[in-house]
Amino acid sequence: MQGIVIPITMVPGNSTIHRMNPLPKLLWTLGILALSFSTRNIAVLGVACLIGLLLVFYSGITKAYVRVAMILFPISLTLITLQSIAPAFPRPWTAIVGFGPFTIYQEGIYSGISLLLRIMAMTTWAMVTIMTSHPSDIFTSLKKIGMPYVLNFIFVMTLQLIPILQSEFGIVLNAQKSRAMKGSGFGAILPSMVPVFVGAIERVQQLSISLESRAFGSSGKKTSFRQVRMAFSDYVALFLGFLVPGAATYWVIVDKSLDWSHSMVFSPAFSITLVLGATIGFLVFVFFAIRAALSA
Amino acid sequence: MSDKKPIIEFRGVTFWYGGANDKPAIKNINLKIHEGEYVALLGLNGAGKTTLQLCINGVIPNSIMGEFEGEVIVYGNDTYDTPVREMAKFVGMVFDNPEFQLSQMSVAEEIALGMESLGFSYDEMTKTITEVLEIVGLRGLEDRSPFGLSGGQQQRLSIASALAMRPKILVMDEPTSNVDPIGKEEIFAVAEQLNREKNMTVIMAEHEVEVMAAYADIVVVMHEGEILLNGTPEEVFSNVDLIHKLGLRMPQVTEYAHRLNQLNLASIEKPYPVTLDSAVERFKDIL
Ligand SMILES: Nc1ncnc2c1ncn2[C@@H]1O[C@H](COP(=O)(O)OP(=O)(O)OP(=O)(O)O)[C@@H](O)[C@H]1O
Ligand SMILES: [Mg+2]
Repeated sequence: MQGIVIPITMVPGNSTIHRMNPLPKLLWTLGILALSFSTRNIAVLGVACLIGLLLVFYSGITKAYVRVAMILFPISLTLITLQSIAPAFPRPWTAIVGFGPFTIYQEGIYSGISLLLRIMAMTTWAMVTIMTSHPSDIFTSLKKIGMPYVLNFIFVMTLQLIPILQSEFGIVLNAQKSRAMKGSGFGAILPSMVPVFVGAIERVQQLSISLESRAFGSSGKKTSFRQVRMAFSDYVALFLGFLVPGAATYWVIVDKSLDWSHSMVFSPAFSITLVLGATIGFLVFVFFAIRAALSA
Repeated sequence: MSDKKPIIEFRGVTFWYGGANDKPAIKNINLKIHEGEYVALLGLNGAGKTTLQLCINGVIPNSIMGEFEGEVIVYGNDTYDTPVREMAKFVGMVFDNPEFQLSQMSVAEEIALGMESLGFSYDEMTKTITEVLEIVGLRGLEDRSPFGLSGGQQQRLSIASALAMRPKILVMDEPTSNVDPIGKEEIFAVAEQLNREKNMTVIMAEHEVEVMAAYADIVVVMHEGEILLNGTPEEVFSNVDLIHKLGLRMPQVTEYAHRLNQLNLASIEKPYPVTLDSAVERFKDIL
């Protein structure tokens, strides 16, 4: 099971980005999210991706990032395969070449590439934010700008519960193995789910009792133990976080010449290579994922 | 002591957990506890110690489903209509399964959680965190994840979290079950010290008879949901036959005094001694 777990947590470091307040980082990430959803232009999305990758490299989280990307990227490759034969695009579609029983469309290739870039841009920026900020600092700064305490708590708790459930899952699985039950494959996973989830429910009940016994949710003034500071540079980054992605989003919405869905022409050879490559890439990933799951 | 007003009073409390079990977990409990008392709850597994303790801050009947009869008054508040989070201002709870109570990213934040809810200032919080970690012997682990601690350390952490809120009453449910022998001594000493120096009322469920006999002012013996004995350790442990019948352990010196009587080797009057020191004192005259 461990093999499938995606490790998205803070990577300790001391880069400028690590030292930034989480708020500007979050704002930038939201801005890139808005921008990515507002355009299908491959160049714009590509640049957003590229800047994100530069930030990954600059803040020294490359290794952790690559580990996540190795899972995310192959899965996202299916977008190219699926989109190329069934574009999420208004008809009429322009056929490029046949692909077995299917037809590859011009709009499909364009749409597939831009969706892939969109996902990579958003996740890259999100990972820069998550991997360079202490989770408590993220929550504390969100609390400061008015996010409800309870909502915050749910996030923290979920973050904590996942590794616990994972380890309990492993324990239950091992216990069943030692009782000579089939300890691998999907058949073993299902019966293990039951005790783990029953355990999770009990855990949550106990926790809620423990929390209210510590005055959680009581009326009156609340304070925060974790302190996050906003330096001048953070205010500048925050301001730019409004301005730059905002302006870029405005530009991609207004400028109609950025629609390259028809002007960008893909040759049959390129299209076939791309679609085949994406499909094989995905299948290879599936093969390794299943092998890892079965041997865990 | 009896002329003072009790701070905790159970009046005819009976509680049934829902479900198939038709027997109540605690039955017609009448109990008065005074400020500054150290109360030990003794009883076999399933005797109702935990259930009784959960009534003190109102988790029963407010947060645990079941059928509740009678009333529990704590510092003048009827727990039936006082929210648990309000009771938390003067009752600190240390539950018997510490790993289920953790939620925060670091030991320091775990301890701060209660203080945040009570509106402590940042400076107060940092000061208190250092203080309580010192008390429970976890200094230096401030930034560790609570989930990465050992069972004994987690138990100490949950004591620290309760202490940080400066409760008047500290309810502890087998707080040393995961702790090594040296750690046990330390935790009992902490409870004793808080009780003696800060006049904190301590209500502890424990199986360590010897320690309880030495530290507790009052021993309450429970069996099948009922209180059978309630008094000073000497009074309670003088009921040798009943305690044996219940299958509970006695302090060794008490057992010894009783044996001497039975074998007609000495005639030791009740109440029997319960600690080594008092036994030495008593046996000096007799032997
Ligand atoms: N959540 C629950 N649901 C149903 N019955 C319960 C629940 N908790 C306890 N009981 C029952 O209530 C009775 C008293 O249990 P309680 O936990 O209070 O005993 P205890 O003295 O604390 O025992 P131990 O020494 O094992 O901690 C037992 O018969 C137990 O089975
Ligand atoms: Mg118990």
